[in-house]
Amino acid sequence: MKLNDLNALFDPDGIAVIGASNNPLKAGSVIIQNMVRGPMADRLYPVTTSEPTIAGLRAYKLLSEIPHRVELVVLIMPSSAIYSVMDDLDKRMAEQGDIQVIVCAAADYSETKTEEGVRRQARLMQAKERYGIRVVGPNCIGVINDQNGVNTTFVNAGVPENRLGPQSGISFVSQSGSLAATILMTGASKPLGIRYNKFISIGNMADVDFIDLLEYLENDSTTKVIGMYLEGFPNARKLIETMGRIAKRKPILVLKVGRSNRGSAAASSHTGSLAGADAVYDAAFRQYGIIRVNSIGELLDSLTAFDRMPDLRGTNTFLLTQAGGPGIFCTDEMSRYSVFSIPLVSPETKALLRSVIPPMSSVCEPEGYADITAAATVCQHCDALQTVLSDDAVDMVLFITVIPPFLPVEELGTALVNMYQGLKKRYQKPVFFCIMAGDYVLPCRRLLEKAGLCTFDSPLEGVAAAKNLAYYDRLQRRKEAE
Amino acid sequence: MSRTLNELEASKLLSRHGIPMTESMLCRDRAQLPEIAGSLGFPVVMKILSADILHKTEAGCVRLSIRSLADMETAYDEILANAAKNAPAARIEGVIIQRMQAEGLQVIFGVNRDSQFGPVVVFGIGGIYVELLKAVSMRLLPITRADALEMIEETPLAMIFQGARGKRYDREEVVAVLLGLSGLLGEHPEIREIDINPFILYEQNGAKSCGVDAIVVMDESNVPLSFST
Repeated sequence: MKLNDLNALFDPDGIAVIGASNNPLKAGSVIIQNMVRGPMADRLYPVTTSEPTIAGLRAYKLLSEIPHRVELVVLIMPSSAIYSVMDDLDKRMAEQGDIQVIVCAAADYSETKTEEGVRRQARLMQAKERYGIRVVGPNCIGVINDQNGVNTTFVNAGVPENRLGPQSGISFVSQSGSLAATILMTGASKPLGIRYNKFISIGNMADVDFIDLLEYLENDSTTKVIGMYLEGFPNARKLIETMGRIAKRKPILVLKVGRSNRGSAAASSHTGSLAGADAVYDAAFRQYGIIRVNSIGELLDSLTAFDRMPDLRGTNTFLLTQAGGPGIFCTDEMSRYSVFSIPLVSPETKALLRSVIPPMSSVCEPEGYADITAAATVCQHCDALQTVLSDDAVDMVLFITVIPPFLPVEELGTALVNMYQGLKKRYQKPVFFCIMAGDYVLPCRRLLEKAGLCTFDSPLEGVAAAKNLAYYDRLQRRKEAE
Repeated sequence: MSRTLNELEASKLLSRHGIPMTESMLCRDRAQLPEIAGSLGFPVVMKILSADILHKTEAGCVRLSIRSLADMETAYDEILANAAKNAPAARIEGVIIQRMQAEGLQVIFGVNRDSQFGPVVVFGIGGIYVELLKAVSMRLLPITRADALEMIEETPLAMIFQGARGKRYDREEVVAVLLGLSGLLGEHPEIREIDINPFILYEQNGAKSCGVDAIVVMDESNVPLSFST
């Protein structure tokens, strides 16, 4: 049986939702709500026996009754109904033969390890065996394609549209449904909510797995950076080799859990006992240029930085701070990573910097570091940053400010944006804006983010993202040299 | 099932793949001792060669720091006598005589087969605390030269190679062993495990660095390698 490709998963002509509901507390309602106001609404077909309309759309009692083309079927009805649903799917395939992909969001299949659960999944998988239909899940939250309004998830991030950022190049694949939901909703809660380009929760991986999806994203022109939540994979070698191949073209960031299982792999020799499962994953990630992150926060910050920032030209990192304490904090954090190098700016840059900032400021003591002090005005913030960015020795800047009460928050944001956008292209280098002071500074951060710049809660987060960009840049250069 | 190569087989296999090992000679006849002494010089180490005796020291089958032909002959007799007494059923292939290595910087090399990733290579600081300290780095095989250099950088040995305490070691010797192991596994995928511990590094312009002890385990289902001893 020739298997279908995954185009209909992300760009289906017609979506049927089996188990659609008007009850807002049910997943079958959220899925419809997530699409009914978007561009897929006119090709969205709720299937339910209990109501004639769902969210204003005509509902069908059976999949086989839908008189339009259906390429994607979402299963959210109770899994006990799988037998009758699949019988009806057989009927439709005999008559129409149009279904390409199934997203089985519902749980209670093989993952329960019960005889009945295994039997249900086996019935589901007959769609693949008989027709080459691809199956995502079961036990997943489905897929999103932000390019065309496909959203089979039952996650409601509850974020007002005006808090969401622009479309992004960030695509994400998650092995866990709840982690996927967390990553969606935490992303939506950033100063400017993250909109994932493609988002897939893969659940039990009964058919479609990491490798299928990574290969799709590899060739997806709008995906610029790929994030993954990974627990484990049966053919780890093939997964790593696939990731390594893709990482040469698009950065891959992975949140891999299971570190504490280090000792689980039975090891027979002295040195072998050092090769616990997680340690091997960790080594493999390094070897194949895959970036391993340690937290959801680092993951989201770094994905955003890779998506928005221009490519690095090197790893010379200038630290420009408006306050001593956070500057030292940031220096300590940077010192943990050997990937950062210190720029030696020109005497002209140093002189210019001294002339534009308050008299008690410190410039390049040590090299690559300047403290413009809390006395710095909005204008001095901007002039200092412009001066540093305009020096050819500088590849990127960590910029820290704790906006004091006597500095207007929004005015600072607007001025920084105007300054940055007024720079010549070659000086629009990556800047990691660490704007410290919690919710108080959110208006400033939103202005910067709306202009496509990246802001961070503190130097800790800014440095984590910066080192990931620098690490990827170094890897790319190493691969070129080989 | 697996088969563990005897010490001499392991040493020859590694040497042939660019991994320097301490020079070892096999003695099957007491009359060969003067010639071996002339070839190796002193001091030497002597031990039984038998796949059936795993704990050689406990069986009285190892003698260290032998400095004369007379002592060699005594050690030869004692080792065989102890083997006959303590392990009467063991098949004895002879006595190995090795040049005794001077002190140096002890490191380890290992190859292990991970159930998910296949063969991996490990490198790190040697000694009895190696597992506790996890002062090792690892890569999936095969590796490139750049991988080998990165492995060194990931261990505390990186600082030593930079010339800490005025000592000068050559990281190329480590790179050569890592690439040698990579090539060996490419040729012989039936190798399940290699453990070179210790491998002794000497300062530049000093003695040639080499492995002292090595264990090599192969899958038995494959055709065994043939060795000319």
